[in-house]
Amino acid sequence: MNEIAFLPIAAEILLLGGAVLILMAAVTLNLGPRTWAIIAGTTLGLSFLVAWVQWWRIDDVGSQIHYTGDFLRTPMVVMDYFSVFGGGLVIAAGGIALLGGWRLVGSLEKRGAEYVALVLLAVAGLHIMVISANLILMFIGLETASIALYVVAGFTRDRPDSDEAAIKYFLLGSFASALFLYGIALTYAATGSTSIYGPTGIVAFFAERAITEPGVLLIGIALMIVGLGFKVSAAPFHQWAPDVYQGAPGAAVPLMASGVKIAGFAAMARVLTVAFDASISDWAQVISALAALSVVVGTLFAIAQSDFKRMLAYSGVAHAGFMLTALVAGQSGVPGLWFYLGTYAFQLIGTFIIASIISGAAGGASPLDSYRGLAKRSPVLAGALAVLMLAMGGIPLTAGFVGKVGVFAAAIDAGYLWLAIVGLVSAVAGLFFYLRLIVLAYFNDPDPALADEPITAPRSSRLALAVCVSFTFLFGVLPWPLLNLTSEALPL
Amino acid sequence: MDTLIFLIVALPLAGFLALLAFGKRIGEPFAGYIASATVGGSFVLAAISAVDFFRGIEHGRTVELFEWISSLGLNATFLWDPLSAMMTLVVTGVGALIHIYSIGYMHGDPRYGRFFTYLNLFITSMLLLVLGANFGVLFIGWELVGLSSYLLISFWFEKPSAAAAGKKAFVVNRIGDFGFLIALMLIFAKFGSLDFGYVFEAIHENAAIISVGTATAITLLLLVGAAGKSAQLPLYVWLPDAMEGPTPVSALIHAATMVTAGVYMVARTGVLFELAPVSQGVVATVGALTALFAATIAIGQRDIKRVLAYSTISQLGYMFMGVGVLGLVGGVFHLVTHAFFKALLFLGAGSVIHAMAGEQDMAKMGGLRKKVPVTFWTMLIAWIAISGIPPFSGFWSKDEILAIVFNRGGGYYVLWAVGILTAGLTAFYMSRMMFLTFWGAPRWDEGVTPHESPPSMTLPLVALAGLSAVGGFINTPWRPALEHFLEPAFELVHQTHLPAPGTQWVLAIVSVGVGIAGILVAYRRYVARDTQLETGGVWDTLLAGYHVDDLYGRTIVAPGKTASEVLAFTADAKVVDGAVNGVGGLVKAVGDQFSKLQTGLVRSYGVGILVGAVAVLVWLLAAGGGVF
Repeated sequence: MNEIAFLPIAAEILLLGGAVLILMAAVTLNLGPRTWAIIAGTTLGLSFLVAWVQWWRIDDVGSQIHYTGDFLRTPMVVMDYFSVFGGGLVIAAGGIALLGGWRLVGSLEKRGAEYVALVLLAVAGLHIMVISANLILMFIGLETASIALYVVAGFTRDRPDSDEAAIKYFLLGSFASALFLYGIALTYAATGSTSIYGPTGIVAFFAERAITEPGVLLIGIALMIVGLGFKVSAAPFHQWAPDVYQGAPGAAVPLMASGVKIAGFAAMARVLTVAFDASISDWAQVISALAALSVVVGTLFAIAQSDFKRMLAYSGVAHAGFMLTALVAGQSGVPGLWFYLGTYAFQLIGTFIIASIISGAAGGASPLDSYRGLAKRSPVLAGALAVLMLAMGGIPLTAGFVGKVGVFAAAIDAGYLWLAIVGLVSAVAGLFFYLRLIVLAYFNDPDPALADEPITAPRSSRLALAVCVSFTFLFGVLPWPLLNLTSEALPL
Repeated sequence: MDTLIFLIVALPLAGFLALLAFGKRIGEPFAGYIASATVGGSFVLAAISAVDFFRGIEHGRTVELFEWISSLGLNATFLWDPLSAMMTLVVTGVGALIHIYSIGYMHGDPRYGRFFTYLNLFITSMLLLVLGANFGVLFIGWELVGLSSYLLISFWFEKPSAAAAGKKAFVVNRIGDFGFLIALMLIFAKFGSLDFGYVFEAIHENAAIISVGTATAITLLLLVGAAGKSAQLPLYVWLPDAMEGPTPVSALIHAATMVTAGVYMVARTGVLFELAPVSQGVVATVGALTALFAATIAIGQRDIKRVLAYSTISQLGYMFMGVGVLGLVGGVFHLVTHAFFKALLFLGAGSVIHAMAGEQDMAKMGGLRKKVPVTFWTMLIAWIAISGIPPFSGFWSKDEILAIVFNRGGGYYVLWAVGILTAGLTAFYMSRMMFLTFWGAPRWDEGVTPHESPPSMTLPLVALAGLSAVGGFINTPWRPALEHFLEPAFELVHQTHLPAPGTQWVLAIVSVGVGIAGILVAYRRYVARDTQLETGGVWDTLLAGYHVDDLYGRTIVAPGKTASEVLAFTADAKVVDGAVNGVGGLVKAVGDQFSKLQTGLVRSYGVGILVGAVAVLVWLLAAGGGVF
């Protein structure tokens, strides 16, 4: 039984290989951005293809758990519809985000290769989080991704606020990681296992016995919630997000914002709805409180922002709350979570691409005033912004609406009507700041200083933006292909 | 036949898309022709499709376009039943006339094509609203009409007042939407579906499926939504300001169609309201109070369009009274006749404004009878109709509502009395408007030479005048054709009926008497004694609409602003933004920032996380019962 199952980890192998290749190509062969693009594109494309193959494979032989080969036989990786869907989503988001921010690579010159390699490494780390069947492996994935992104956050060295963002992200992220790790340790203390599946796993442990003194276990669960809550920027663990999104290179933010959310929620869903499914009555209450808090805090603070990226960061807190809303329903909320996550990720990437076009790929502040009269300066960009803002606001005929309906329905079915109402009221209030952008873009005259300055967007950004916008619109009008897919993408 | 139903919506949609893409290039006047033709075409198709209802051989059906979110009962499905057919006919019929009128009215506007684009968008959205077979499609239409209303109110957004009016309409409607959305959520929580047929059948089969308390909560929340869209107390404040939009918009959206969406929604969900007597009382009371309140304000207005705006609010109050007491047919009947005569009044007012070169202040009108004869004679008919003088249309529908309210007895007698009082006030303020505009000596500004409008504007006036005159005969006590027509749509509701014929006669005589009295008082005051526009004292209060806008400004808007400023500046700007700006200041050396980071921000963020973590911990432990 020492054969290595390559298929479940094929994406990781490809991504790591790609990262190494790019570095080698840049350093030893002195090849330029075009080569990096080909390598990164091929790597990500193949990894995405792997997801399809994995899906077919599961269709044929069912979900599989893969163990380490030694005598302990610890489960490490799980290949089920959940991990394949989440993994595919991470890769797709990473690819689109990299494409949308490709302009940054050019401006970084030599260091561009490092940037691309780091992005691939981050995607690999996020992918590991999604597919891991073991909490330790999940932590390794989390750290791989986080460390890569800490570096990315500080990549534009000439701007002090970029450094500041990186340091802040690093310090606070380490703090959260430590809490997560401590949670794993306590879980191990309570259940005797760090793996979720398998004969000695946590699920099996709960199936065999009931815990009478759950103190240690509950502390473990709580700390893991906090750790992952930080990564997905749920309130009250969200404060880093506005600073980091504003400070980090504009072109890198799409990945930081969307990819981490996807993987973080996937990990959270795996841990809570599978491993600790038995304690759902305990953690669902806490999750519902975090959800309500995130939705309300995110909305209130977003209203008060005068910077587009900060507003998006706070709106991201609210969106995290909506996704937590689905999670209170346990496994039956997973399809709703997936749909929301899948569609929101692309809305977010699209909006940040617009922000990086307006405020520059290197990043920095993005005052709302710079969006005045955008429709006059660039009608296409304004149209894309309008669609994305409507979607984030949850207006019907965009994917955002279908997503919101899904998470609220899940919460209602689980008996959390109050949470759905809190979410709904916030969602309507949130329309204010999404529509404000549209009003600024369409009903205001541009700043005279900027009026004649043309807006230039490289073809890569436009292509990525087009993908995001068409996804958003398409899945709003015809959501059922994605709905069918998400309803199958349940964890083992 | 199902294809026809789609085409009803598809035609204006196609018009909208074509104009959106090529509106500028098509330009004047073809953009107007295209828009009018698509809406007119929809009307013809709707009339053809409705024939079977008139013949009584069809009771309604659903037509599915495609599956959307079927697990929630949310599909792109249309419901074609007598109620939706009636609404479709009104929307496309009145809509087509107003489109034609706009061809002349918007002549020379630089954004001519854009105007018709929005109008077609509105018609499409309104059709979605009335044709939706579930709350989802209804809601999409609901939001889209709100959007088109916003776009059209602020159509001349160069005028700050127009931009502000659009914003106000938008914000107030959001408040209504809160209620509406929460109601939808409760319905979904209760029934697991948002499909009309499913929900209403479920109640019909077993009324105990939903408790009176839940039904009351749902219906009251629906009322909040309806009050927002239909400008009822206390959410009416946006409608008078909405008159900043072009006059055809006021006629179509803010008088004839969109504002009746709330009435339509209450009528459509009558099954739910039947289970909640309290809500019925609330709806009827809100309606009665709004009717009276707005009528008194209308008396004091100087701007001809604002008179009509408050009049619309008042008449919508009547409709709410009707549907509130479960006189659904009465409410819908008044909706139809009101669409005729109020659209006519607005278009007539538009024609007057056109003639006076943009003047809207009645203080500067007077003596226009001979100058704009067609406008005058057609408005005369609308005036008599709204004043409730038989045999014109307003009499039949208003009296049906009042008689039904009277028949409920008990506390509803008071509401009936309020309705009668309002009828007298209505006759008075409408007469005041007519006398000040058309009688007396001219008070025109210098250089104004009134002239009659072009035929594209007067022809719709004539058509609407005809409808206003005879429209009431579709539902007389002797031949209640509309009631029979709508029967299949309301078969699950036990409606309140008219009182005995003897009582009806007495009630009718009372209300006609009050109406004539109102006209006579106005005649004495404004024609015989030639009173000019009043100022001072109570008139200023009325002119300012009892200062409700100020009140809202001080009690709701200002504190809201303060709160958001506090949030912006204390909670975020000072702590976070301020720190970031300070820390991130480009002039500072990196090392300098490090020290700041370490002593200030990161630690405070870290503490934030820690506090959150402890809270989560404590809660989980308390919930799990492990320790505490």
